[in-house]
Amino acid sequence: MATTGQEEFTLDTAAELAAEEGGAKAIQGKSPWAIAGRRLRRNYVALSFLGVFVLVVVCCLLAPLYASHVSHLGENDTNSGGVVTVHGQPVHVISQGGTKIVNGQPKIVFGGIPIGPQWGAAGGQYILGADELGRDIGTRLLFGGRNSLFIGVTAAAISTALSVILALLAGYFGGLVDWVISRFFDLIWAFPVVLLGIALGTALSVNGFHHGFHLFGVFIGLNLSGSSLWITILVIAFVFIPYIGRPLRGQVLALRNREFVEAATAQGAGSVRIMFTELLPNIASSVLVLFTLIIANAILTEVGLSFLGAGVRLPNPSWGTMIGEGSDKLSTAPGLSLFPGIAIAITVLAINVFGDGLRDALDPRAKIRIEHG
Amino acid sequence: MRTKRLRSVAFALVVAAGLALVVSACGSGGGGGGKTGTTSGTTPNGQRTFPVLKAVWATTDYMDPGLSYRLASWQLFQDVYIGLVVKAHVSCQTSNCTKIEPGLATTTGTVTDGGKDYKFTLRKGMKYSNGETVKASDFKHTIVRDFNMNSPGIGFFGNIVGSDACEANPTKCKDISGIITDDGAGTVEIKLKKPESDFEFVLSIPFTSVVPSSTPNKDTENPPPAGNGPYYIASYNPSKSFVVKRNPNWKKHEIPAIPDGNPDEIKAVMTDDQAQSAQLVASGQDDYDENLLPTDQLSHYKSKFGDQIRFFTTPSTYYFFMNFRLAPFDNLKARQAVNYAVDRQQLVNLRGGLGVPTYNFLPPSYPQYKKITPNPYPYNLQKAKQLVKQSGTAGQTVTVYTISDVAVDLSTGEYLQGQLKKIGYNAKLKAIAGANYFTIVGNQATKAQIGFTDWFEDYPYPSDWFNVLQNGDRITKVHNNNYGNVDVKSLNTQMNKLASLPPNQALSASTNAKWAAIDRDLMVKYASSVPYLNGILTSFFSTRMNVDCDIYDDNNDDVAQFCTK
Repeated sequence: MATTGQEEFTLDTAAELAAEEGGAKAIQGKSPWAIAGRRLRRNYVALSFLGVFVLVVVCCLLAPLYASHVSHLGENDTNSGGVVTVHGQPVHVISQGGTKIVNGQPKIVFGGIPIGPQWGAAGGQYILGADELGRDIGTRLLFGGRNSLFIGVTAAAISTALSVILALLAGYFGGLVDWVISRFFDLIWAFPVVLLGIALGTALSVNGFHHGFHLFGVFIGLNLSGSSLWITILVIAFVFIPYIGRPLRGQVLALRNREFVEAATAQGAGSVRIMFTELLPNIASSVLVLFTLIIANAILTEVGLSFLGAGVRLPNPSWGTMIGEGSDKLSTAPGLSLFPGIAIAITVLAINVFGDGLRDALDPRAKIRIEHG
Repeated sequence: MRTKRLRSVAFALVVAAGLALVVSACGSGGGGGGKTGTTSGTTPNGQRTFPVLKAVWATTDYMDPGLSYRLASWQLFQDVYIGLVVKAHVSCQTSNCTKIEPGLATTTGTVTDGGKDYKFTLRKGMKYSNGETVKASDFKHTIVRDFNMNSPGIGFFGNIVGSDACEANPTKCKDISGIITDDGAGTVEIKLKKPESDFEFVLSIPFTSVVPSSTPNKDTENPPPAGNGPYYIASYNPSKSFVVKRNPNWKKHEIPAIPDGNPDEIKAVMTDDQAQSAQLVASGQDDYDENLLPTDQLSHYKSKFGDQIRFFTTPSTYYFFMNFRLAPFDNLKARQAVNYAVDRQQLVNLRGGLGVPTYNFLPPSYPQYKKITPNPYPYNLQKAKQLVKQSGTAGQTVTVYTISDVAVDLSTGEYLQGQLKKIGYNAKLKAIAGANYFTIVGNQATKAQIGFTDWFEDYPYPSDWFNVLQNGDRITKVHNNNYGNVDVKSLNTQMNKLASLPPNQALSASTNAKWAAIDRDLMVKYASSVPYLNGILTSFFSTRMNVDCDIYDDNNDDVAQFCTK
């Protein structure tokens, strides 16, 4: 508490001044995370879009229930010869074509057009219509969403984790370590994301990824078949490493000469401890924002790669493969591409708006964004 | 040969009629004397020549007659690479399109020694597009070159005397003693080990189309080998485009069976995207769509461009191969199960209705065809499941091969994969780009278990179906056409016997019945494959083109005979 001897001038903290006021409760200091949380809670737009994203995730997680209780078809179940009852009338899921004899003459009857969205008219079946094999678009949309979201979130998590480690190593040690890691970032950065993704995805899809070693009879490494979702996840995680690693390295470089790092060094803390207990907490807000933004980018990349045939392998659904399969039927069955397209737009918009809100909450002055070709 | 769905040679709208007339009037250079003109004009049969045909074409495997086994290439080759004999360039709707006519040779050949000796004499003065003279020895070079390149066509030459060493070691092949040529006299003599029912047909396919002796014994694509027909391939950019021009050394009516052709030049872009290629013609940007129309838009195109579209039932069979050498399809019950699990009508639907369901391997257009009755494999999923259980193969992993860049083929592969899952297999899908697909699945190292394929006749005789596709004696390590490695000794013997008949017995009623019995046995006793439809193909022209000029032979539109309105 400040004292007044001979007009002695002191500085009181806000808490001490408040405490002097009769009965006033002392102000408790708030952590940066609490302040950020308060800012985020007041950003209703960001929270609304977080709600949208959560809704999308919940819907996708409920896909098995939808398949078993509503559509009665699994994500890859074909039903091209099936018949459904629409308004009491039997309707072929796929219109029947072929060569028929009409008035004694062979006549080609065009067919193969899948049933369109029924919106409940078929008792819950084919709510969003069927594809050319009679598969339920609604079911594939939900299962495809699971795949797309799983790939996006997992790839973003792996990419972020690797990027953080590399950024800490490069920024803390500097010198040769920094040079090597920075050139590695530059090398990946030099390739457009989609191009690199296609190259890696296509190459790995041929025979999969089987690298590792045996230790006491136990295989240690990765053993992935060409059709595994993990191939796509690892490819996407790899191509995004520099987009997270470079900005974080810059932040670590700026922090490594700060007093608290010197203090920790003076106290005898080792390199690993300084990196993970001193530096990492100081870049955590950036990591969180980048992770959020990279999820949206990873989902879009998955969609792009799957659309081009270098991502999720058919017949497994993802929003990208669904758009790809429907792209040549836009005029007759637009729903095949339209519904997954809408799902992607909503999901990515929701993640991006929430990510922006999170960035504003954590550090309103920050200008963190993901930029790639 | 494989895959016809990509027939799209579109003709360009680009040159307006007025401009064409101006060009015509100016008489842009061309062939004087006896050479074919290169400007718009009128041929003796009353059809107009015109400067440029712009087309959309399917991608293909090779643009070399010694290597390509795709319809997209063969359609071009019929007007570029000529053999000793040729198939008549006439419409199958109005004429006998299976007739063999003299090509480079003056006659269809003299056959002696009980069908084991063929003699031909070349027409005099014929030249390739590069100026070289067509020589008798070029024929031998062509066949040796096929061996050296491990051509998919070398299976046709195993009956030639002296071909054993070449068959054993194709890339080291230097000479075939059974081919005797005399450049001075212009004669070619081919000695066979035994009579061969279809040998004249074999001499009409591109693998025997004669290329200059100066052509390297390797894939020659840019530019492709010099032509000896009315046209030559001036440039080829794989999977992207090609340009075909008139052969400057072709003399009018040089070979009566081969028309001189109407377009002076054919410019084609290549794509397997059926929707895109149809749109290019619908918009008038191109004039001929060599691809199949997009199957989901047939009604739309038919209603809007009805007069500009033609449909042809082809001598083709679309089928799934099953590998006799690999589990689970080394088991008869497993193969039968797949046959029961495939609903042919649904696969017709996938092609928009452009197909006729079948359970025979041989198409109905053959006199040897006899519909298998009763239906050996009515769609029955329960029975299929039972058979899989009985075979002891349930739960095994099966990889279905199909083409990735043709939507209907991809869907067909997905359908089969779905059905295999339903009957108890752990089925996966492997989709490969069409340009490489048949080379990959035809390589034994790939170990393809099951997959999509189709076959359009090379020539109208059953040996082209059974001996090429289902005869264990014709299995090769690479470029194998018997993808399923079908190998039934008793039937191999029977096929070989029927294929070795002298030409005068090849089409007798008893021979036809024996071929039909082979068809039945392969399907009913051995379930050797899963034939599911005979294909109907489309030809789509822009409004600039006169559809009445379209001559559709067994598998192809004859591009050379196209004309404008």
